[in-house]
Amino acid sequence: MFQRLSRTFLGALPVALALSVGAAPVAHAEPKAGGTLTTFTSGYRTLNPAVQSGASTGSPGSQIFAGLVTVGQDYKIQPYLAKDWEVSADQLTVTFNLVSGAKFHDGAPITGEDVKFSLETVKANHPFGAAMFGNVGEIDVPSPETVVIHLNQPVPGLLLSMQPLLMPILPKHVYGDGQDIKTHPRNMENVVGSGPFKVEENNPAERLVLVKNEDFFIEGRPYLDKIVYPMVKDPLTRVLMLEKGEIDFAPFSGIRPTDVARIERAEGVNLTTDGYDAIGYVHYFEMNLRNEPFSNREVREALAHAIDTGFLSKVIFGGKAVPGTGPLHTGNPFYSADVPMYEPDMDKAAAMLDAAGYPVKDGVRFSFVLDVPSWAPQAHVPMAEYIQAQLEKLNIKVELRKAPDFGTWVQRISSWDYEATMNGSFNYPDPTIGVHRHFDCDNIKNVIWANTEGYCNPEVDKLLDAAAVEVDFDKRKALYAELQKTIQQDLVFIYMPQDFSATVYSDAVGNMPDTPFGALAPMYDTYLDK
Amino acid sequence: MIKGTLGKTANTVILLIAVLVLNFAMIHVAPGDPVEALVGEMGGATTEQIAELRAQFGLDQPLYVQIGKYLWNVAQGDLGYSYYYDQPVTSLILDRIGPTLLLVTTALFSAIVIGTVLGVFSAQRRNSLLSHLVTVLSLAGFSAPVFWIGIMLILLLSVAIPILPISGMTSSEVPEGTFWYILDVAHHLVLPALTLGLIYLAFYSRLSRASMIEVLQTDYVRTARAKGLPRRMVIYKHALRNAVLPVVTFAGLQFGQVISGAVLVETVFAWPGLGTLAFDSILRRDTTTLLGILFFSALMVVVMNILTDIVYRRIDPRIKTA
Repeated sequence: MFQRLSRTFLGALPVALALSVGAAPVAHAEPKAGGTLTTFTSGYRTLNPAVQSGASTGSPGSQIFAGLVTVGQDYKIQPYLAKDWEVSADQLTVTFNLVSGAKFHDGAPITGEDVKFSLETVKANHPFGAAMFGNVGEIDVPSPETVVIHLNQPVPGLLLSMQPLLMPILPKHVYGDGQDIKTHPRNMENVVGSGPFKVEENNPAERLVLVKNEDFFIEGRPYLDKIVYPMVKDPLTRVLMLEKGEIDFAPFSGIRPTDVARIERAEGVNLTTDGYDAIGYVHYFEMNLRNEPFSNREVREALAHAIDTGFLSKVIFGGKAVPGTGPLHTGNPFYSADVPMYEPDMDKAAAMLDAAGYPVKDGVRFSFVLDVPSWAPQAHVPMAEYIQAQLEKLNIKVELRKAPDFGTWVQRISSWDYEATMNGSFNYPDPTIGVHRHFDCDNIKNVIWANTEGYCNPEVDKLLDAAAVEVDFDKRKALYAELQKTIQQDLVFIYMPQDFSATVYSDAVGNMPDTPFGALAPMYDTYLDK
Repeated sequence: MIKGTLGKTANTVILLIAVLVLNFAMIHVAPGDPVEALVGEMGGATTEQIAELRAQFGLDQPLYVQIGKYLWNVAQGDLGYSYYYDQPVTSLILDRIGPTLLLVTTALFSAIVIGTVLGVFSAQRRNSLLSHLVTVLSLAGFSAPVFWIGIMLILLLSVAIPILPISGMTSSEVPEGTFWYILDVAHHLVLPALTLGLIYLAFYSRLSRASMIEVLQTDYVRTARAKGLPRRMVIYKHALRNAVLPVVTFAGLQFGQVISGAVLVETVFAWPGLGTLAFDSILRRDTTTLLGILFFSALMVVVMNILTDIVYRRIDPRIKTA
């Protein structure tokens, strides 16, 4: 039944792909119960994923809190706290039936009221709350184990957003006390969750320790007794700890492509780039389209011909980073490769600049300042330096302005006070969350990762509006294919190689979380074979 | 005497207020504000959410109101509330000061003792092999970047010869409050303390060497020698007492600056102290926490100066209350 529902509602995925199910065990026979898995954290301000996006909160958060569903291989929606669900013919009512006997970590039963409370909380407080659940209207709880969600318009990505990372099930009796949930003391102290692991020790300066929830609603799970997240900030220290076996499992390891060979040489240590498709981390060269010369599409096209992302991928990132071709990550279910591409051609670029009214004058065509943010230097610094060197050949002077910290960069970009910047963002599996925000005319706002470049195309807005409510997967995919084409045609951004995100793990880790959400999915199937 | 103390206290208070105002102003000159940094870390937000957060933190008020409120709160012993950690700054600092004091005192005291001994020895035989060795080592220690020394020591003592843990202050398996816990912390302390200590050691051995050479050339030492006092007596009873004064001065000064010294070492070894807290607060624009730490550091400097004064008087009876 789930298969049928997910076809009509989420949209049918290619049948051949949908055949592989769940996390496939690699080279291990029987899962073993017990053991302590050591991973790491680089710091978090809250353990409550309802008020904070991203991996630092999300990877422990998805262990502490359960969701209604999980997302398996190839984006297959699987039951979790919801044992099944039904979608009405008009796509405007979704009924979830919860598993019986599920309890929060403090022993209180998980009921439909908690689900309703969680959904309303996420809608109002999560950074993507409005994007994900803006069309959620009334929520009914006819019985403690049934939740009926009424939608104002069809929400094709609804089920994808119902996994714990984006829609954690919160205890209403803890968070429903009227305090502001964003600064609720229970986000960090005495956290009561609904997921496979409970918080044992939470000392963000040193470590987070999660222990097995003995009363978890899935029989015989989780396998692990404990997950320990020591605080390790320094990336080099992290690599040494991995090599020495002090860390078993390091998602979002921050390993540079050039470190890969070293990690692979180390005894008993493996590396995978699986588990990052849902996050869909893309990098791009963003130009402020309000001002000359970047308001001129011809100029942008000339730049696209000058910047050889294939070279960047192959040479600078050692062939480990996939070149981006548009706003969607290659691992996104709606990705399309059928887009205009601009072949590397310096002569053509020079001719286009001449024609666009930017001939070489006193040795220079024009100059601009390229901002380089501080948060992904392993990706953005080499990209910016390459762009600077390439454009120098065209007599364009690029001054790199490396931001000393996050706040400085955010201020410049969100106040539109910049010429060009290296940038990057997460797609999230449904484009309404992480993609629409960059191109929607209504989202031209002084907010970081909104439409800061100032792009407005009514045709694109029409596509976005249609895709947001289209429930037929193939029709929706066609709409997004058109979007990707248009964005590349208009050259809103110049797409860089995608992020090289890698998980490093030891031989002992069985059932590696390698679904699209990777380590941000619940790890009740993961075990240790030491 | 009382008048002097009063004057000093007044000076101290004025100094601390000046530090507060200056820090506040400097932090606000930097582009970007805490809410923008916070929202960036949250992964974005709506314009309404941003405005709401600004109002909640009082950032929508004019700067002079903010600074006035802040001074008033500090006067009442309240260092404010951290936007990032959702905790009072005072409790944040108190949580973190223990590990930093442990690290810095261990490093500083071992460095002072060993450094002074090395310096005194090499001062006596200025052209011996030992003396040259101390000079070369201390020059190297003094000029090498601290994080580099840290990583090299990790490679040597945790990876090549795996006897010490790479990072952190405790292991998760050891329960707090037991004897094993103390051993576990000591085990984790070795590498960061060694790293930080090497820098200090270089400094103190050079300082005490130079000071000892100078003292050994003074008339009273020559007189003591002429009287036929044993060598040991001359060195330790007569010369060292004077030679150690600059060491005390600098130890006092440096102890006041514990946090600045510990920032890099704490970051490399993930030591849960004030240094990492300061570092994170800067990157996250957690201005109240940062202001709190800076104020706390200023307080430390003042207290240490007073303590140094007292120690001075004990070592050198000639120094009277000024």
